[in-house]
Amino acid sequence: MTAPAAGTECPPRRYAHTSVQLFRFSAVSWNAHRIHYDAAFAASEGFPDTVVQSTLHGETLSRNALEWAGPGARLESVAWRNVATAVAGEQLTWAATVSSVEGARVRLDARILKADGSECVTGTVEVTLAG
Amino acid sequence: MTAPAVSSPALEEVLARARELIGQWRDEDCGTPTVKDFCRYAAALNDGEYIRRARALEADGRPVEAPDLFLAATMSWEDGPPEDELRPDGLAQRESPCTEGLAVRQVHGGQSVRLVRPPVAGTRITATRAVVSARHKHGRSGEFVLLGVRTRFLSPDGSELTSVDETIVVLDATGGDR
Repeated sequence: MTAPAAGTECPPRRYAHTSVQLFRFSAVSWNAHRIHYDAAFAASEGFPDTVVQSTLHGETLSRNALEWAGPGARLESVAWRNVATAVAGEQLTWAATVSSVEGARVRLDARILKADGSECVTGTVEVTLAG
Repeated sequence: MTAPAVSSPALEEVLARARELIGQWRDEDCGTPTVKDFCRYAAALNDGEYIRRARALEADGRPVEAPDLFLAATMSWEDGPPEDELRPDGLAQRESPCTEGLAVRQVHGGQSVRLVRPPVAGTRITATRAVVSARHKHGRSGEFVLLGVRTRFLSPDGSELTSVDETIVVLDATGGDR
């Protein structure tokens, strides 16, 4: 892709994580925290269902940014803050805005939004576009 | 302005333990990840394209790089204890620093990941990890402790592959804070 201008809005992407994905991601990342795969335990901690892993949010932030950036784009860094909890089956939206462009390096302000538009995760993703 | 005092004895103990640990780096052997490790990680992310590409590279005898956040996303590289040594919430002591025996619960506050060089299948990886900060805070949900943990993943020649700063939020489990 040609380098975008600062302020460019990326097309939002809607998705949901299944409880199967949360279980498999916990297994493969050696994460035995019960809130991610044990709905009864998650309820005991005040969550309506099993909780999406922080690092799965990080994957979503960065993978959507790379898809937007096009073939050959490289991830340089990703940082995020968990503002609210998301759970299995919940409709979420990835949204991002180009905050700066330096040559081929593009920085995005990225967000994961809940169905009501409130922020679930906020962060930044830096990618280098393919030459 | 004076910071509010810590009212939870459990959180006070977390803070005390963390302050003792700050700057004490501990090395971990992450082992030698395989193409299968990478592909299983990708499968959990529904990334069939990565799997096809990785297996094709492997078949050609070419190096296979890990998915970008493979190192950062893995909770622990230790073998892990048997179930009876886990905390009631399922976490091992290594994943829940400064909280052993305390009535607290934890959630992840977030991460900052800097990618320097991707790990390649068949190459040994080590990590060095430390608590780097501990702060007491009051928020909408009550009081909590923010633990900052830094992990640097290194290749056999000691050069950095990935650097991860994570924030662990520790809450008192007895006071009903949410």
